[in-house]
Amino acid sequence: MKDTTQRASLLGRLWLLTLTLLLTAAFGAFAQDVTVTGKVNDEAGAGIPGVNIVVKNSTRGTTTDADGNFSINSPSAKATLTMSSIGFTTQDIELNGRTNLTVQLAADTKSLSEVVVVGYGTQKKETVTGSVVSVKGDELVKSPALNLANTLAGRLPGVTVVNRSGEPGADGATIRIRGSNTLGNNNALIVIDGIPNREGGLDRINPADIESISVLKDAAAAIYGSRAANGVILITTKRGKTGKPSLTYSFNQGFANPTVIPKVANAQQYTSMLNDLNIYELPVAEWAAANEAYKTTGSFTRPNGIVRKAPYSPEDLQKYADGSDPWGHPNTDWYGETFKKNSPQSRHNVQLTGGTETFRYLASLGYQNQDAYYINSATGYKQYDIRINLDANINKYAKVTLGILGRQENRSYPTKSAGTIFRMLQRGKPQEPAYWPDGRPGPDIENGENPVVITTDLSGYDNNIRNFVQTNGSLEIKIPGVEGLKVTGTAAIDNRSDNGKFWQIPWTLYQRGSGFEADGTTPKLVASVRGPSEPRLSLSNSNRLNILLGTVVSYDKTIGNHTFNLLAGMNRETIKGDGFSAFRRYYISPALDQLFAGGDKSKDNDGGAFNTARINYFGRVGYNFKEKYLAEFLWRYDGSDIFPKETRYGFFPGIMLGWVVSEEGFWKNNVQAVNFLKIRGSVGQLGNDQIYYPNTSNLATYQYLSTYGFRSYVIGGSEVKTLYETRVPNPNITWEVATNSNIGLDAQLFNGKVTVELDAFSNHRTNILYFKNASVPESTGLNLPAENIGEVKNKGFEFNLGYRNSYKDLKYNFSVNGGYAQNKIIFWDEAPGAPEWQRSTGKPINTYVVYKYDGVFKDQGEIDANKLDYSAIVKTLRPGDMKYQDYNGDGKITPDDRVRLNNTNLPLFQGGMNIGAQYKNFDLTVLFQGAAGAKQYISTGEAGNIGNFLLDQYQNRWTIDNPSSVHPRIANRSDQYYSGGNDYWLRSSDYIRLKNLEIGYSIPTTILEKVGMSKVRFYFNGLNLFTWDKLKVFDPESNNATGYYYPQTKVVNFGLSATF
Amino acid sequence: MKKIKILALAFIAGLVTFTSCNDDFVNTTPLDQLSQSTVWSDAALAEAFVTEIYAGLGVGGFEEQSLSSLTDETMFTHPGRGITTITEGRSNPADIGWVSGNIRWDNMYSRIRATNLALENLADPQFPNNNNIVERLQGEAKFMRAYYYHQLARYYGGVPLIDRPYKLGEADYLAARNTWAETVDFIVKDCDEAAKLLDGKKLANGRASKEAALALKSRILTYAASDLHDVPTAKSKSTTIASATNPELIGYASGSRADRWKKAQDASKAVLDLNRGYKVNLTEPATPPAQGTTNYMNIALARNGGETELLFARYFINAKQENGGRIGLYNGPNGYNNWAGNSPIQLLVDDYEMLDGTKFNWNDAKEAADPYANRDPRFDATILHEGSPWKVRSNANLPKDPASQIQTGRYEVIDATGKKVTHFGLDTRNSSIEDWNGSYTGYYMRKFTDPNPAIVDQNTWQEIPWPFFRYTEAIFNYAEACINLGQEAEARDWLNKIRFRAGMPAITDAGQALVERFRNEKRIEMVYEEQRFHDARRWMIAPSTLGRKANGIQIVGTLKPGKTVNVYKYSKENYDYSYARFEIDPGKENRNWDDKLYFLPISRAETNRNEKLVQNPGYTK
Repeated sequence: MKDTTQRASLLGRLWLLTLTLLLTAAFGAFAQDVTVTGKVNDEAGAGIPGVNIVVKNSTRGTTTDADGNFSINSPSAKATLTMSSIGFTTQDIELNGRTNLTVQLAADTKSLSEVVVVGYGTQKKETVTGSVVSVKGDELVKSPALNLANTLAGRLPGVTVVNRSGEPGADGATIRIRGSNTLGNNNALIVIDGIPNREGGLDRINPADIESISVLKDAAAAIYGSRAANGVILITTKRGKTGKPSLTYSFNQGFANPTVIPKVANAQQYTSMLNDLNIYELPVAEWAAANEAYKTTGSFTRPNGIVRKAPYSPEDLQKYADGSDPWGHPNTDWYGETFKKNSPQSRHNVQLTGGTETFRYLASLGYQNQDAYYINSATGYKQYDIRINLDANINKYAKVTLGILGRQENRSYPTKSAGTIFRMLQRGKPQEPAYWPDGRPGPDIENGENPVVITTDLSGYDNNIRNFVQTNGSLEIKIPGVEGLKVTGTAAIDNRSDNGKFWQIPWTLYQRGSGFEADGTTPKLVASVRGPSEPRLSLSNSNRLNILLGTVVSYDKTIGNHTFNLLAGMNRETIKGDGFSAFRRYYISPALDQLFAGGDKSKDNDGGAFNTARINYFGRVGYNFKEKYLAEFLWRYDGSDIFPKETRYGFFPGIMLGWVVSEEGFWKNNVQAVNFLKIRGSVGQLGNDQIYYPNTSNLATYQYLSTYGFRSYVIGGSEVKTLYETRVPNPNITWEVATNSNIGLDAQLFNGKVTVELDAFSNHRTNILYFKNASVPESTGLNLPAENIGEVKNKGFEFNLGYRNSYKDLKYNFSVNGGYAQNKIIFWDEAPGAPEWQRSTGKPINTYVVYKYDGVFKDQGEIDANKLDYSAIVKTLRPGDMKYQDYNGDGKITPDDRVRLNNTNLPLFQGGMNIGAQYKNFDLTVLFQGAAGAKQYISTGEAGNIGNFLLDQYQNRWTIDNPSSVHPRIANRSDQYYSGGNDYWLRSSDYIRLKNLEIGYSIPTTILEKVGMSKVRFYFNGLNLFTWDKLKVFDPESNNATGYYYPQTKVVNFGLSATF
Repeated sequence: MKKIKILALAFIAGLVTFTSCNDDFVNTTPLDQLSQSTVWSDAALAEAFVTEIYAGLGVGGFEEQSLSSLTDETMFTHPGRGITTITEGRSNPADIGWVSGNIRWDNMYSRIRATNLALENLADPQFPNNNNIVERLQGEAKFMRAYYYHQLARYYGGVPLIDRPYKLGEADYLAARNTWAETVDFIVKDCDEAAKLLDGKKLANGRASKEAALALKSRILTYAASDLHDVPTAKSKSTTIASATNPELIGYASGSRADRWKKAQDASKAVLDLNRGYKVNLTEPATPPAQGTTNYMNIALARNGGETELLFARYFINAKQENGGRIGLYNGPNGYNNWAGNSPIQLLVDDYEMLDGTKFNWNDAKEAADPYANRDPRFDATILHEGSPWKVRSNANLPKDPASQIQTGRYEVIDATGKKVTHFGLDTRNSSIEDWNGSYTGYYMRKFTDPNPAIVDQNTWQEIPWPFFRYTEAIFNYAEACINLGQEAEARDWLNKIRFRAGMPAITDAGQALVERFRNEKRIEMVYEEQRFHDARRWMIAPSTLGRKANGIQIVGTLKPGKTVNVYKYSKENYDYSYARFEIDPGKENRNWDDKLYFLPISRAETNRNEKLVQNPGYTK
């Protein structure tokens, strides 16, 4: 632990130092000139954010803030300010001695006022022909989620974001663009500042650093061809803006709680269920009598004379219910004992930006600290990050951009995983104590695992420190003499190191012993040492170095009404990685957690390396006629080392067309309500080379090589190296191809008050890389490689409808968006012998094959009346057993009666509803988000004699006293034929939740000016504040059948941001 | 001038990448794997490949679920493992129940492919054949191929015989099942060749040897000669088998049974001639009886000379902590924080003879009152029962049982207030220690668990090897063949060697009585060694043995008048004990034999893939 703290404090000191420097820089820059302040409004009187303001004939400039306010240092009060903003006509304002002014900019009606980042460039939104959605970083910072992925849900139509766990440091989301399109890898390509697939992904990017996120959903992604088949997420970080230095500090303090704590049976309920299970072991004929006996005397004499004691007597049940005997009959709420209320999380950001026409800078520092739900939690996440973005115009022709990111991700966990902890919490027996009345920890659930202990550092720790250094630089040169011709060279280097330290020590629990302490009433407790037999330490270290070098040549030319944009480029990418680990045990004491101090017996170590490479060529030809007729052709030619030389390269083209109907004379003159209307369509091919072994996250590389891998086996009293054939090689393996088509419509009505975006798509994936193990018999013994065998179609639509208006001082906007996607397997390897209704071909990917639930045999009478033959799955039917549907009608329940369903645990539809309002200095943002169409499998798992049941099961079960024809009898650790594999256990996980809410107040500028500040805002926001769902027992975003996972978080957060 | 400078800059920017237009750097090679050609041109690497083939043995029989729990030896405690699917006769091709990785169709064929690959590449070795390493590796590969086929054969019957490595893109992968006769011949041929290739080679523990090849041949020929695989006999004993469409897949439709027994006898004699057995030269019972117990334990624990019994085994070492070293945790008592997975049932306990060679009899009041006394010396080495002294309990549990004896009953004790209360044994399902892990039967497995108290089963791995073939099995095979060939005296001679070693008197039976005595002897001597599952099937006695309900013992200790006990300890002085047998509740495990269980079903997934596969009798599709 010591080691980590030192590192952390060193980093902390560095951080402080940088902060001080930045603050000095900001305050030191206070000028002696005239300070001009003011506000820039649109015609409706609403402030316009991001207006560029430059003092004419100088290098001084600034931009307006989110409310349209600005402040600029002018050399004199007689100067002229040039104000420009996309979507508005540029204006020159003479100051004429004024130092405070309000300016109104006229709307440039032609423009949708937005620039969208697309592959290798930006485009005006009005000329975009692909299906591209985007969100501004300013929106994302309104969410208190510490993981960027969790800020995206509900904001981007067609992008499904499902958060599966809230564990600090491991709380990412599954992101799917237009659902699942292939049998294997469905992950979108993430491009950060132009560099694809950066180490660390998007999760841990500081939202405050983000300018915008664009998602390319269709052929627009073709320029990233090789890995773009699942869509592309483009993240652009903020860059410096011309103007005096501006320093913004923001602080967030949040409090997290689980969205759902599973409700489980209490001691009295659980023990009575254990009694029931005990009865169910008897022959059915004895059930009623045993039930009666257990309830009255707790002892049942069987017809054969053997006396059977109820596991819990009526007196026991009574004591569990009334709490009269805390030592002997506790009633423990395991979640309550383990969790604290309100786990804190905090975030600090300092951002400095400014610059001149020739040099602009942005420096951003972030710190976050996240605690877990547990009391005395060993789990936590800390992050330190710094980003510096520089832009310099070296001269008229050369421009340099540089970006550096440094980030440390510091994850701490106890030695037991969240899966284990929550398994034990869920299993936790309520009739056993978490703590004894005297405060000492009670016995384990199993394996020494008592949740109140293993969530702390009493068992040691499992720490992981990840360091990222990412640089990207580019040099852009305009070729003199040829207007519009540019060459840009790019180099990006990612370095990542992972350091793991896993320190396991024995811990102490207390069991009830025999007899009492001297006082005669306090029961004796016996200490037992649990966990490893002695302290052990594992250290691991790995490093990766990714290098991307690229060149792009572009040429933009307008000839009359014809505008051309040409671009061509190439990239080479290499990734090298290596790692090692070391292990020692037999530490003589837990006092020192260093490797050298470990015992010298059974030392162990390991290490390895990998490398991978890619080469890519790409280009774009754009053309438009008066921004009315739009056309774009994109291509990429890619080589990947995943494939052999012969099939290494793939060519992926895309074409996109657009027609701005509203630019046509006939429209302009006749349909004035619709002031902008664009129809667009695209079709493109994209590639995928990412093959994962089924149900793993292990990349299947070298499928074309005949190679042997290493293992070991015990021979002659020692472990010797062995070799196995890794696969039968597939020399023909090549790119998986996506052919994605899209048609869409963008419209603005009533001068932009109403906006409409509609998209419909059809994605067709062929050559899907998958394993042919469904039809090649196992008797071949082949370890099959991936082959280009699958075909999947995926269709759907998206919409985004917006409305914005104002009423006096109230400005408001409202929008709804949603996306629906449904895929279907057209072809893949499927066993020829399966009955038609079980075949996956023609059905969505990853569907369930289950028996159809058909009620419950309420009593013996119903069983006697039953005509169906269940003998293939159960020999003797008993009351409370589940009925199945005889799907094929042969009078027998056999595996042939299982049916493939249409649902999976990924939603078909996901959408959001945004509401924004501003009144004077108050602002409000509300985001509702929902999903539909997913089914989640809920299992009773290990519930039974080793673990507790959900309260839901207690309340709804079949019992001897209260036989149900709807819900089955409880089972012991899922040991009945109906405990799984049927659709009774599938539940809809449709939900709507208040994903995000923010209320803010800005202090009026008139007050702030006096203290030299330009903006101060206080706010409250929240994440997952309310949820309406059908799943009930777990969070609806969960994909865990038993609740053995760290639940999603609900966060309330208070923050302030101040700009100097 | 300026233009030139800028052009030069642009040129450099472009150069950075375009110089690397040569795409050689995309030809990466894996840094954690070796190419096929490298492996087969280096003897050490080729050896490593052959060594890996052994890994298909898994951890032998030391898995958490033991094959014994599918028989009348033990029952499995924990639900949800697919054990009762089989014991209750609910198996079907889509839900077979528990199938060990050691016999899974896909695993076996994957390893068979490896043997075929090895044999193909070793046929034309690309490395110097120093010390005849080529022949040795060929011998090991042949043995392992025979072994894996024998696994398939004894569970499934005749199977597709694949003797070459398939390649990707072949026109037809669908192989039909070979007949039982062809499958046996194939195994025997590989055994013969392996024995020849390995003759005279000294091989490290864990590798195949000539002895192993001979032992395998003895086993498969013994199986082949048995009732189950003689179609006329099998049909007469089972309507399910009588209705089989392709009986040649599971047995011999014709031919002389005597010839088959002769072949089995010869093969078994070849093993006996190795003179490897442990203490098989005794001419009278080992004395005192404790010596019989010790002898038996030396074999099970493979120590003090007992290791000479092992002809082929899976070894475990502490440095590589594999599940095979956790058998004590899997099966040990819950009062020691172990899991009591496979617990001996009363049917097994009752089959242990009295020390004098008579049958144990519940109707004999003396025996029934003290059922664990004066039994076959192997009993105490095999089963932990009420009162068995065992390892020292953990610090936390020790105060409850300072004597550290197994407690499987319920007893009267006097509490602090002087009241008579019930103490539930620490090793029962009413225990104060992990009750859900208690045995249902009142017994725990002891054989194969290292009794060394330093090995705390709940968190220490042991190093006892799993015996695939031991010398004694060949004795039983030989004796069985002798009985079937009418050479009863020879059979008795050899059986008595086994009994003398165990401290048991000679048997003198003949005819059917000898058959019964033989069967019981093998049941006792080879218990937990994956014999009973197959023996009960091939002798076709499964309906009357494996089909019986599992049972256990209820023990009640009543304080004798005037005795006071605060902390329970096994004592005939203080307690009157009563022992009552009971059947396991049907809701827990309702054993039910179904003739389809003679063979495993081929999985639904595999028959879906391969339409040529004929399913085993009694299963749909």
